[in-house]
Amino acid sequence: MNEQDDPRLNARRRFFGALGLAAVAAPAAAFEADGGTGGLPPQKESEAEKRKPRYRETDHVRAFYRTNRY
Amino acid sequence: MARMKFLCDSDRCIECNACVTACKNEHEVPWGINRRRVVTIGDGKPGERSISMACMHCTDAPCAAVCPVACFYGTEDGLVLHDKDLCIGCGYCFYACPFGAPQYPRVGNFGGRGKMDKCTYCAGGPQQDNSAVEYMQYGSNRIAEGKLPLCAEMCSTKALLAGDGEIIASIYKERVQQRGYGSGAWGWRTAYREELPA
Repeated sequence: MNEQDDPRLNARRRFFGALGLAAVAAPAAAFEADGGTGGLPPQKESEAEKRKPRYRETDHVRAFYRTNRY
Repeated sequence: MARMKFLCDSDRCIECNACVTACKNEHEVPWGINRRRVVTIGDGKPGERSISMACMHCTDAPCAAVCPVACFYGTEDGLVLHDKDLCIGCGYCFYACPFGAPQYPRVGNFGGRGKMDKCTYCAGGPQQDNSAVEYMQYGSNRIAEGKLPLCAEMCSTKALLAGDGEIIASIYKERVQQRGYGSGAWGWRTAYREELPA
């Protein structure tokens, strides 16, 4: 039998082909995680809004300060 | 107005790396990037010291000073945040930072490093607070939720303090008075200044 007709060898080639494609596709998927929006529409804040203070001394925060004094 | 700061009490840090893990989990930080790291000096020897390090959100941030695209901005809480849509991944901020805070997702062709990633003090970025897109780009925004950075909240020995600089300084001062000595608030002299030079 010709080597190219061997079903086992063909299956093996397909497996390694898929593995190679996955290796190429993986960095493209990771790129989304490093600053891409993942296809979501941007919801940018205005210049003043992004700088406004957000810290609030809530009960949660006060509990953190209190327990750190122990 | 409160000025947010980090303070690592190296007398208490036991190098458990819970802060590192909590940060990675909270923000789903990509593989290969650590926004926070625990540095141990004299590992395994008597008197070893561990310090939990991340972006200190400096008063006069060197990263912002060298950024060629001005992607950094300061908030009124004293935080140094950045806009990933502007970042070109040049790496200047990494060289300028005295704490090694900026991280890059990869090293690619022609020096491309991808968008810089660093600690946001759990305060997100320039997208709408707690929106899906903010989480995707910067992670969760705990400050807007009325909480503090998870690394500090998770610290089992209370070595890592976060919050209003004056309050955490007073907490540390109490500890130093009780111990009778202090190892210093590591990095504070470098990161925080009361006045900016003209």
